Amino acid sequence: MAWNEPGGNDKDPWGGGRGKNDGPPDLDEAFKKLQDKLNGLFGGRSGGKGGGSGSAPRGNPWPLFSIIAVVAVVIYLAAGFYTVDAKERAVVLQFGAFKEIKEEGLSWNAPLVTQVFKVNVTEESQYPSRALMLTLDESIVELPITVQYNVQDVRDYVLNVRDPEISLRHAADSALRHVVGSTALNQVLSEGRQKIAEEVKLRIQAYLDDYGTGILVRDVNIQEGRPPEEVRAAFDDVIKAKEDEERLKNQAQAYSNEVIPQARGRAQRMLEESEAYRAEVIARAEGESDRFERLMAEYHLQPAVTRERLYIETMERVMGNASKVMVDVQGGNNMLYLPLDRLVQSENRPAQQSYQQSQSVVREAPRALEQTPTTSIRREIR
Amino acid sequence: MSNRGFFGVIVAAIILMVISSSIYVVTEYERAVVLRFGRLVQMDVEPGLHFKLPVADKVRKFDGRLLTADMRPESFFTVENKRLIVDSFIKWRIKNVENYYKATGGDERVAAERLASRVADGLRNHFGRRTMHEVVSGRRDELMEELTHSLNLVTEDLLGLEVVDIRVKRIDLPTDVSDSVYARMAADREKEAREYRSKGQEQAEVIRADADRQRAVLEANAYRDAERIRGDGDAKAAAIFAAAYSQDPEFYAFVRSLTAYSNTFKGREDLLVVDPDSDFFRYLKDASGKK
Repeated sequence: MAWNEPGGNDKDPWGGGRGKNDGPPDLDEAFKKLQDKLNGLFGGRSGGKGGGSGSAPRGNPWPLFSIIAVVAVVIYLAAGFYTVDAKERAVVLQFGAFKEIKEEGLSWNAPLVTQVFKVNVTEESQYPSRALMLTLDESIVELPITVQYNVQDVRDYVLNVRDPEISLRHAADSALRHVVGSTALNQVLSEGRQKIAEEVKLRIQAYLDDYGTGILVRDVNIQEGRPPEEVRAAFDDVIKAKEDEERLKNQAQAYSNEVIPQARGRAQRMLEESEAYRAEVIARAEGESDRFERLMAEYHLQPAVTRERLYIETMERVMGNASKVMVDVQGGNNMLYLPLDRLVQSENRPAQQSYQQSQSVVREAPRALEQTPTTSIRREIR
Repeated sequence: MSNRGFFGVIVAAIILMVISSSIYVVTEYERAVVLRFGRLVQMDVEPGLHFKLPVADKVRKFDGRLLTADMRPESFFTVENKRLIVDSFIKWRIKNVENYYKATGGDERVAAERLASRVADGLRNHFGRRTMHEVVSGRRDELMEELTHSLNLVTEDLLGLEVVDIRVKRIDLPTDVSDSVYARMAADREKEAREYRSKGQEQAEVIRADADRQRAVLEANAYRDAERIRGDGDAKAAAIFAAAYSQDPEFYAFVRSLTAYSNTFKGREDLLVVDPDSDFFRYLKDASGKK
């Protein structure tokens, strides 16, 4: 019993594990007593070797038994305690039969004869699944789904069904395929999703209730349905085609928006031009007739003189402007040649030159008028 | 004294062993039978603590919960001879423990296998009488209910179990069929895409034609109105002229002719071949102007 002596730590039979003798001494004391009692229990054969510290009464084991019994009872009682978390419920079976459901908090049940199943009831679990499936019109679609659920009836969950979670998976897969199998592809891909989710949820719940799993389906989410990889290009092309349709319409609309205002503009221009024409024609007519009337008034005062003056002034202007060839038909010879082409050409030269030429060409030539067409014909032939 | 104590311990241990082998617990989710020398003496023991004869009695306990038999995917042919790969599961539980023990020896796997082969037969029969459309779409419920019902007529007696539900998890097409389905789907999409495109073209054409029509109508109407206005102008001008010129038509002809002459011979390139005997040149040869 030397190992209890102060400073004797190097003699510690447990090795150096306890360090520098800082273990509570009463624990050692209790341990020592227990050791002695055990010695006493087995006939006290080692009692003599025990030395002075052995204080257990020999030949009377009953106190020893009672202590063991007390310790055992304490351990037994202590083992019966357990806590149930706020998010859990516990199903308690006593001798195999259902006894009760424990709420959150510290609970005690007799060990060995009771079984306690703790189940998380508030936490929402998820079952995500994605797969290809057949639709009503025998097409194939990929529809990812997420089922959210939690345990509602703990007793059913624990006692009714083995692997309730697997039941849920099966139910979800089956229900989803059932509903999708009753829905046409286009609906699955577009507006039918919400309806599908509703129906799937109802179905899963019905199956689970049928099985008595105690699981409550909280929500079923269906993500965007996708056509299988093999046909995705074709599906994308439909989207592109829709865009093309819009584009074509927009282009035509653009054309229309361009053409019609232009036509309106042109129409307006025509109207304006005609209005202008009318105004112009009328104004001119008014002007001309006015001018004529005024002239006429003067003319009636002195008809002969005015007439002569008008005639000569006009002829002067006419003659002054144009090139002239004077032909004296009556006194000339029969043949007259007028180089009209050269005359006309010379008109295009500088003014004084042509003037001289035109002066020099004044000749007498009969039948000039008959000659002229020939010349012009020759020019045409050339 | 110490010998007596030792003996006491041994006796206590033996008593404990006897007691422990004569009590048994059936939990809530278990079904149990008691066999005395191999003979069934107690069927379907209630849940709770029970006693039996040690050594002579044996207790067999089975899982009484709802169990799942997950079937292997199998090929089935529909009435139109289309092959489908069907993956299904069966939910079942022990109904009659005695029959169950006798039929399967309490082995769950044996029970599941027997059940599976029956279900497969049933499914094969039902699929063979239906079209693929019926199987895939909304008729599944009916099919499964029928099958469950007909199975339950025999399974309780034969296997001691109850089929709660049969469900088809997946109905898939074989790979080669899938390919042709994909081809069909792609063709469907192509049809749709072409429809959209040609609808677009159609509508574009309609819009363009409408625009062209509107343009033509606008311009023609404008032309008509313009001509009308011009005509109106011409008419009014003519009236004005007529009113003025009718006062002295001869003088008008004279003045107008003079204007015409001067307008006609405006350019330098005009060439006049004139006769000196004309009135205009009457002073050219003779100062008195007489011929």
